[in-house]
This record gives sequence, structure tokens and C-alpha cells, in this order.
Amino acid sequence: MLDLGLDVLLKGTNMVRLLQGLWVAMQISLVSIAISMPLGILAGGLMTMKNRLVRFIFRIYLEFIRIMPQLVLLFIVYFGSTRVFGWNLSGESASVIVFVLWGTAEMGDLVRGALISIPKHQYESSEALGLSKLQTYRYVIIPQTVRRLIPLAINLITRMIKTTSLVLMIGVVEMLKVAQQIIEANRMTSPNAAFGVFLIVFILYFLACWPISMLARYLEKRWR
Amino acid sequence: MKNLKKLLALSLAFVLAIGVSACGSSTKDGGSDTSASGKEVYRTLDEIKKDGTINIGVFSDKNPFGYVDENGEYQGYDVYFADRLAKDLGVKVNYVSTEAANRIEYLQTGKVDVILANFTVTEERAEEVDFANPYMNVSLGVVSRDDNVITSLDNWNKDDSIIVISGTTAETYLTKNYPDIPLQKFDSYATAKEAFENGTSVAWANDNTEVIAFSLQNKGYTVGIPELGSADSIAPAVTKGNDTLLNWINDEITSLGEENFFHADYEATLADTYGMDYEDSLVVEGGKTE
Amino acid sequence: MNWDFIMEYLPMYERAAILTVKLGLIGIAFAVLVGLICAMIQYHKIPVARQIVAVYIELSRNTPLLVQLFFIYYGLPKLGLQFGPELCGIIGLAFLGGSYMAESFRSGLETIEPIQRESALSLGMTNRQTMQYVILPQAVSISVPAFVANVIFLLKETSVFSAISLMDLMFTAKDLIGLYYKTIESLFLLVVFYLIILLPVSILGSLLERRLRHAGFGA
Repeated sequence: MLDLGLDVLLKGTNMVRLLQGLWVAMQISLVSIAISMPLGILAGGLMTMKNRLVRFIFRIYLEFIRIMPQLVLLFIVYFGSTRVFGWNLSGESASVIVFVLWGTAEMGDLVRGALISIPKHQYESSEALGLSKLQTYRYVIIPQTVRRLIPLAINLITRMIKTTSLVLMIGVVEMLKVAQQIIEANRMTSPNAAFGVFLIVFILYFLACWPISMLARYLEKRWR
Repeated sequence: MKNLKKLLALSLAFVLAIGVSACGSSTKDGGSDTSASGKEVYRTLDEIKKDGTINIGVFSDKNPFGYVDENGEYQGYDVYFADRLAKDLGVKVNYVSTEAANRIEYLQTGKVDVILANFTVTEERAEEVDFANPYMNVSLGVVSRDDNVITSLDNWNKDDSIIVISGTTAETYLTKNYPDIPLQKFDSYATAKEAFENGTSVAWANDNTEVIAFSLQNKGYTVGIPELGSADSIAPAVTKGNDTLLNWINDEITSLGEENFFHADYEATLADTYGMDYEDSLVVEGGKTE
Repeated sequence: MNWDFIMEYLPMYERAAILTVKLGLIGIAFAVLVGLICAMIQYHKIPVARQIVAVYIELSRNTPLLVQLFFIYYGLPKLGLQFGPELCGIIGLAFLGGSYMAESFRSGLETIEPIQRESALSLGMTNRQTMQYVILPQAVSISVPAFVANVIFLLKETSVFSAISLMDLMFTAKDLIGLYYKTIESLFLLVVFYLIILLPVSILGSLLERRLRHAGFGA
């Protein structure tokens, strides 16, 4: 029989630990997304403001965050912040900070895109119907924006979950690090563990992200 | 339409609720991180005692020195010592998984109080962190496959590469003394060993303790160069200037010497791998090298 | 900031940047190839192949590149499938990027209304000619913004190559931090080099997007 090295997962609490590792990753992304949603909506609103300075500042922020690989941002916050500001961050808090910065930028851009995608005549028609500005937003603009936004925001969640695989590199013990530990502790008894364990990690990431992607696609189709 | 609105209101409330609770918990985390640090990045002995938990940086993928067993418990020679340190200090221990290249960084940024990750004392490192007295002897070694045993680094074939781990003394030594040998660098023990097993390089250079352990644990490998460079020692390290903690660790190592603690440590954690042959050459008792 | 250190290690970063760009471009080229094939298969609704493509796209889009690389580089050799780190990085990038490219090409193709194809065919063009002269030129220009976004995304993703021992920019920075403890300088150089690589692509992307919008393609 071909030894795929799957047996190590049945030893001790290995499988449970792997799932706990996934849960760490999920927690980081869920907390980050929960914080970046309101912040991103705020940022998106500010980005559509007429004030040039505000728009310029947000533009720089957005471009920088989106251009830098997330791994670089993680390194800057995790190692750089202590050097420059004397903050002492755990790997987990550093990850949440980076993911919130990144999530806010992405979310802000999505909100901005959704807001400017609402045709001007919608505003004008509402006004013609005698709706106040508040009412226009409350009953016309925001419901439409939200419909366009939610599928994209859900997609952002899967992107975050996938990106959490990087936090391994700043010392957070998440699923990949647990996988390495399991392989290392069983190197003698199960030399092919690297195949089986990394395969399971691959599948678990897929199982975590796929349903969320499906939901996003379903909502996108339904609300379009 | 009405249902949709309800759903939206509900989800918005949900998001806000998570956001608020997450903010609350994250500031709590931040608080415990920074509260004790004050102006210095490190925590003094008293501050650690008062907190009740000591943060110790160890390897989590370096069997048999620091690794995690199948029940999720940290084990190994370094961990055995770390457990004892915490016990005698009367605090709980929080293990922080570290990679070789991060060890100095973790101390300098106060992410851990002590590094017990098979940390070789070198002059360069001593400028960045404070080392306590040693608890193990070490030198460099090179392991290779039985069918192509490497016994010398001279006249190197440039098509072959040697695996090293980023941030180890082996990397520094080879970079300085054999700049022409191509190095294949990995950032963790787990990945380096995996790649070496998969046959991507002809040899792996690292602490000789580690390569000897590897050749004993895995069939088909021979340590062709058991000693390379100078004879060094391995010691606990603390953040530069953290004298209270440093002195306490030194006293502890001295008093542990009286009960032959590190020999017991060897027998409990390393004997399975090395047998008894290496006991006297590896173990440093009471902080005194010969 | 220690400028001597920065000057001393500048060449090392240059080499790393060249590696990043080289592997990135080769990987992206293959990703485009994979993406085109997949998009064509989906567009022409070729049975079986279509289902395989669908499964591939889901797998590739819902897993992180780092995990894909770990599996390819550390896992597959256990079954006797061994690749060097560079090839591994390229395979990984093509595997990940293929699905993103396929999606952007597909959405480009989908926006071309069937009537165009029908008209082209009724003008006596062959299937191939229709594709070459009518459908593709329009589809490609519509997918340009998404394409550029994918290129930036994939170049950024190369930062995880460090995990399979490739001396790219990220690894160089990590290595220097570990060797010489010059955190600020190493990170500074890292950011500068990524900006040098990615900023022009990003600016080119927004220029192209604006131009195409003015040209009135698509919508």
C-alpha cells in the first residue's frame, strides 16, 4: 500500500490541534473583518467626499496598502512597530492590525465603487419625488449600495482567511505551523507525513473558504 | 423587500456587536502586553513574578531539543530546563514558538523574557542580547547521505548546495568562511529537514548536536564533518540590560549543577536519540565549560 | 538608519528583486496560458473538460498559495514528484494565477453579445476568424483592468516564495534581520524595492483603465 502519511493525524490530539490551528486563522480573519467593515464603510464614504485633501490622503493610504504584499505589512507591523514606537505586539495582535488596515482599504474601495456606481439620476429622481437628503440615502441609495457590496464583502472574508496562512511567518502558531510540528514530531515513525498532513491542510483551507465563496456568488447572482 | 431589510438590520447589528466585543478583547490583549513593559522593552524579575507568567521562546520543530508532541505539549532538552526555571521562579510558563532568525528580535522587542531555543553564544549576538551561563556544548557539523558522504568543504563542486537555516551560526560561518558554496536557506527546522530528506541538497550544515541527532534518527545519513569551526556553547539569553533576570538565571544554573540537573535532563530527553555516549561531551553542568 | 549598511546590501536586494520579477513574470505567463485555455474550454462548453476546469478553478481560488507551495514542494516529493524551488514557485504561481486569469477572460468573453458572433458568422467568417478578429480583441480590452489587477496580485503573492527557500526580496529581508539584526534598514529596503516593482504596474493599470473607458469598449 502506498504510504501517504495520513496515519499521524490519528495519533494523540493531532487532528484536533490542526483544527484548532484553523480556528486561530478563522478568528483572526473574522475579528479583522468585523472591525474593517464599519471602518471601511466610513473610509469609502470619505473617499467620495468632494474635499481634495481627504481624497488625496485616502488615495495614498489605499495605494500603499494595496501595493505592498501582506507579508511585508505583517513584518513592518510585527517587527518594525516595536523598533519605532516601542509597542510590544503579539503575533496575533499584529496580524489583526494588518488585516484591519488592509481590510479597511479594500472595503473602502469597494464602498466607493458601489457608491459611484449608483447612477446620478437616482439621486435626482429621489429629489424630484420630494425625498429629503436623508431619506434619499435611507431608502434609495444605501439599499442599492448594500446589495452590491455584500457579495464583495463576503469575498473579502475568503481572501482574509486565505491570507491568514501568512501569519505563520510572524510566529503565530496556526494550521501550517501545527502541521510542521506534527510532521517533525513524527519524522521517524511516519516519514511520508509531509504529504498527508499538507494535503489535509490544503483540503481544510478549501473547506473553510469554498462555502463562503459560494454564498458570495449566490448573493451576487440573486441581487443583480 | 421587508425581509431583506430585516436581514440587513440584523446583520449590521451582528457586525457591530462583533466589532465592539472584538475591540474590547483586543485592547485587553494589548494592555497585558504593554502594561508591564513601561519604558524598557523587557520585564524585570519582579515584574515577571508579579504577572505570574514567564514567556519563554523555544523551538517547536527541533526534535529532541524543542518540539511539540502529539498531545500538543512542548518537549525536549530546552523545554525540560524551561519548565524547571518556571517552577523554581514560581510562575506559569507560556511557550512562544520561535524560528532561528527571530530569536534576537523576540528578545529585543520584549516578545519573550528568555530565549531557550538552542541559542549558541557568539560575539556578534552578545552585542545584541545578554547571555547567561551555558548549559550545553556545541559546534557545527555537516550531515550528508550515505552514498555521497561529505567529509570536507574544500574543493567544493559549485553545482551542489548546502542547506542551512536562516539565522543560525552555520549560516554565518559558511557565509564568512566559504562564500563560494551555494547555500539553500530555509526559515524553519521543519522545512529544512523536509527539503534535505527530499534530496534537494547534498548536505545540511547546522549545530553538530542537531545533525548528529538527525543521522541517528533517520536511516541513510552520515555526519561526515562532526566538528567545524570553533567549539561553542549554548546558553539562555535575555534582553540586553535585564540584569535581575540574568542574575537569577545564573544563580539557578549554579544551584541546579549541585543536583546534576542537566545530566538528568539529558537522560530524560536526549538519551533516546544519542544513547549515553554523548552525555559528558554535550552536557554543561553548573554553567562551567571545561 | 544606517546608510552604510543599506549601500552594502543594496546589490543583494537587486539580485533578489530580479529573482522576484523573473519568477513572477514566468509564472504569470503560464498563468495567462492556463487562464486562456480554461476560458476557452468554458466558453465553448466542452464537456468533461469543462467540469475539470470548474473543479480546478474552485480549488485554486479557495486555497492560499503558501499552502499550495508547501504541498507541492514538501509533500509531493514523498510520492516521487520532485521539483526544484524555482520550478515549484512557477508551478504554484501558474496554478493559482490560472484561475484568476480564466475568470477575468471569461467575464470579458461573456460581455460580448451573441449577436456579434452571429453577425460575424453570417458575414462568412470562419469560427476561427470570428474569434480572432471579432471576439478576442474586444474581450481582451474589456478584461485589461482585471488582468492588470491579477498581475499585481500575483507579483505580490511571490512574497511567499521565501518559504520554499527562494532568495526573493522577502527572504533577503528576513535573512538580514536574522544575521545582522538591522530590522529597520532591512524593512526599509524591502518596501522600497516592492514599490519599485509594483508602483509602475499599478500606475500603468490605472492609465490603461482610464483610456479603455474613454475608448468606450464594452458597457
